[in-house]
Amino acid sequence: MSDRDLDLQLVERVRQGDQRAFGILVEKYQRKLMRLLSRMVRDQHEVEDIAQEAFIKAYRALPQFRGDAAFYTWLYRIAVNTAKNYLSSRNRSMPTVSDQAMNDEDEPDERLVAQDIATPETELLSKQVAIAVNQAVDALPEELRQAITLREIEGMSYEEIAETMACPIGTVRSRIFRAREAIATKLRPILGTADDKRW
Amino acid sequence: MKIHVMTESTMPSQSEQQNSPAESRHENLSALIDGELSDGMARIAITQLGHSPGDLARLGEYLAIGDAMRGLNTRHDGFSARVMAELENEPVVLAPVQKKRESRPTLWLAAATAAAITWVVWQSNPRDDLAVPLASVQQTAPQFDEASPYLAAHQDFAQAVISTQEMRFTKASLEIRP
Repeated sequence: MSDRDLDLQLVERVRQGDQRAFGILVEKYQRKLMRLLSRMVRDQHEVEDIAQEAFIKAYRALPQFRGDAAFYTWLYRIAVNTAKNYLSSRNRSMPTVSDQAMNDEDEPDERLVAQDIATPETELLSKQVAIAVNQAVDALPEELRQAITLREIEGMSYEEIAETMACPIGTVRSRIFRAREAIATKLRPILGTADDKRW
Repeated sequence: MKIHVMTESTMPSQSEQQNSPAESRHENLSALIDGELSDGMARIAITQLGHSPGDLARLGEYLAIGDAMRGLNTRHDGFSARVMAELENEPVVLAPVQKKRESRPTLWLAAATAAAITWVVWQSNPRDDLAVPLASVQQTAPQFDEASPYLAAHQDFAQAVISTQEMRFTKASLEIRP
């Protein structure tokens, strides 16, 4: 099942009344969406408010989602329009934003939105997480580190990783899982996802 | 004697050989976000997620790790929880599932059969065509009368059997247009 198929299946479940499936989509795309919005709105709290509104609008509009475009592309358009309306209602224009990046009908070019506009606060928090992740990745055994890096940074499929690492696909799957578990254990206190804070 | 040869693709992973049920479930989540589960397994994993908030949070952690490794800001404390809390005030989305239009072979078969019988009767009595057909049909199929209530109740499964009452039922059904 491809990433897009997974999204479509989640959407279908939401349309059948399963709100939790929408939670997975929120979890999956919140950071990407906020990174996009941070190109349009500087204040981090406003970014989160707009992102939240965009997700709610998307949820309401799901019955009209036909799956012609990828879910994120569709969500992206909703988010951009929500941000534009938000700024317009406050007589503000989009700052330092590439019109090309924000007005494209299709998914934004990642290169155009690659530079985050980070406030000192978010920059500090991001650095904190980034450092923790780097340390956790560095502490992994070589085969786990290589597997998770090939997957998350290079975007390779399990089959490609298996070829690269000359091991069975099942082993790749296991290594990536164990790498994630090891990193998650170290990140939980920082991410605030301890058992008592889980939703 | 059967010899089972294990190839690389059929060989269980290291963890499959020793995982607890919970770990196996979490490993499936890990493969799910990578789009590496089969359709059937993905459906099962998503269904299980709906019943386990802990697994949903774990899924979020896996996704956050990937985003952090790609340099995305991962500090949006409680964002998902806020969105989900907001959604609780929203009406549940219930969109009709698009189904392929079901054909009704029984109706077509019954209609074709009725037409054929009418044509045969008309052919055999060309000079009395307006008065005779239905009466003729009724007389040629008296043996089905006892079974008619049963057939009427199970008309979808009584495809080729035509009785007087079923003929009436079929006529009514034919008025329903797709």
